[in-house]
This record gives sequence, structure tokens and C-alpha cells, in this order.
Amino acid sequence: MQELALLMDGGCLDARDEEFVSLVKQAKAGDTAAFDAIMIRFERQVLGTALRLLNRNLEDAKDAAQQVFLRLHRSLHQLDESRHFASWLYRITVNVCRDMQRVRARRPSLSLEEVDEVAAAAGEDVIQRNEQRRMIYAALATLPERERTAVVLRDLEGLSTSEVARIMGCAEVTVRSQISNARVKIRKFVIRQQRRPR
Amino acid sequence: MSCAKFEPLIALYVERDLPESEARVVEMHLEACPDCREFAAEMRESQAALKSLRTDAVEESVLGELRAEVVSRLSIPRKTAAWPRYAVAAMLLVGLWAGWLWYTRPAASLEFRPRLVAIASPPMTPISAPPQRVHPARVRRHRARPAPAFRSEPLVVKIITDDPQVVIYWLVDQNGG
Repeated sequence: MQELALLMDGGCLDARDEEFVSLVKQAKAGDTAAFDAIMIRFERQVLGTALRLLNRNLEDAKDAAQQVFLRLHRSLHQLDESRHFASWLYRITVNVCRDMQRVRARRPSLSLEEVDEVAAAAGEDVIQRNEQRRMIYAALATLPERERTAVVLRDLEGLSTSEVARIMGCAEVTVRSQISNARVKIRKFVIRQQRRPR
Repeated sequence: MSCAKFEPLIALYVERDLPESEARVVEMHLEACPDCREFAAEMRESQAALKSLRTDAVEESVLGELRAEVVSRLSIPRKTAAWPRYAVAAMLLVGLWAGWLWYTRPAASLEFRPRLVAIASPPMTPISAPPQRVHPARVRRHRARPAPAFRSEPLVVKIITDDPQVVIYWLVDQNGG
């Protein structure tokens, strides 16, 4: 829960936070310690989101997080301290993860049938150890990219629908439809997994 | 509205993502429809399972690795990215130096103040027309005689500037050619 609190802190951080504004100004002036402090403040948000968007692939998520912070460093000079920094960082994270998925296509989304096979082959001990988590991650992996992004930002990162719409660059009604579709698919997946003969 | 059409609305309703007016419609339907009530219960269950992932923590060591990697990658481009700035600075310096040289050239060479020092022109001599024979018996007719054509050497104008190395010769064809 402590991790969650930290993550939520990062997610809700407003760029109007005086200390943060001061950090950004110092980082703009070339202070690497200040940039390090910004990274520490947002690394859980960035890496956590990347992990969820990239199907729990840690290496890919680390690559994505690196790219996000390098982009942040490059954009420091044009960063407006008065804007919502956390939302801006979410947007960069989502874009980087989307690009990585498109370019690499290393781990394409799985179909429901494929995930059933994976779950069956995983072995009893693995399933018992963390069955629920595994099941939900598998369900997320079946979703189309836009639906997964919407539901990760809304239900896992705890952002409002309007914030998700701003980050994804689309209308709120579209985001609501994507979230709804994703939730219905996840529920269907969970029910199927629970009813599977063991 | 059929139950199938309520499903996407229920998916939003369970997380309070519906506007109040739509939420009221869903509530009324749920009161009357046991199948949709079951659907809503399952939806709440799967949402709880989904939200349980919020507590997934990233290990501190992984975060440390990430930071170290970012810092190391930031230091590499800084070294390589410095040379274009030096190149631009060098070009600016060379430009300034060249401009200074040009600006501080001796004033004589900058200004073109020609002085007409000599005009050499050989004397013009009219070409004598062939002698005309006079026939007294004939009626004299006055014809407009063409102006005597002058054939001369071109006019040479020598212009000397303040720079002793620069002398301008201007050849003027007096026949208008």
C-alpha cells in the first residue's frame, strides 16, 4: 500500500507545486541533481504505467521509461512549469509504449484462446501462487492497444475520464466507450477462467 | 432497451463513470432485471481484481538501474552534441574576423574616386571628298550632301584611382560604335 501511496502521489502531483517548479528551473539550468530528483519523483509512475501497457515485460518497460526520461530531458527547455506535468509525462509514456509495441511487435496482444493455452501450460504452482494477478494481466494482454491504455490509466492509475481523454488526445465519450469495452472483455475473460475445469 | 445494450452502461455504472441521468436509468433497469444484477455483480468482482494490480510495486533495484542508465545515456550525447556548437562558434568567430578585416581596410581602397588625368585623342581629320567635275551645261542640282564622315582613332580615357595599382583605361569609339 505504501507503493500505491507513492504512485498516487506521483500521479496527482500538480506542476504548480512550488518545490517541483524550482526543481524544473534548476534542471533547465543544467543541474543534473535536480533532474535526478525529478526522475526519482516520477520513476514509479512512468515504469509502472509502462509495465502495464507492455504486458508486464520488464525489459521493454525499462527501455520505455528510459526513453520517456530522455525525452523529458530534451524537452526541459520548452517545459512550461505551470502545466500539469504528471499528465504530460503520462502522455509521453503512452506514446513511447505505443511506438515500442508498433515497432517491435515482440509481444503482440494475445487472443482469448491463446491465453487459455498459456494459462493451461503455466503449471499448477504458478497458477496457484498468483492466479488472480496473472489472470488479469492475461486479460489486459488480450485488449486492443487503445482499450488497454484507457483502462490502465483509468482503473490502475486512477485518473479521471477527462484526464485520460486529454492524455490520449481523444474525446471523453470515446474514452468512456473504450473503458466500457475493456471492462466487459476483462469480466468475460475472468468468468471464462473461473469456469474452466481444473 | 435490451439487456445487451445495458452491459456497456453497467460497466461504467459500477465505477461511477456515468452521468447522473444515465446512472438513474441503469439503476431502474437493475431493479427490474436479475440477469443484469448478476452481470453488475460479476463486473464489480472483475473490477476489484483489476484494481488489485494497483498495489504492484516496482523493485527499488530496478528503479536504481533505470536512473543509472538514463544518467549514463544523458552524458554520452552531451559529449557528442557539443561539437556542432563549437563549429557554429568557430564559424561565427571567422565571420567576425573577416568582417573586421574588411571593415578596417584602408579607406583609399574602399572608395572609388577616379580622377581624369588625361584624354588622348588624335586630331580628327575629315576625309576629303573626291573632286567634283563641273559641267556648266548641266543644270546644277543641289543635293543634300552627306556630312563628312570622320574616321578617327578611339578616344582613350585614362582614369587613375587613389590606388596606384588600379588604373582604368576607357576606350570610347567616337563613331558611336
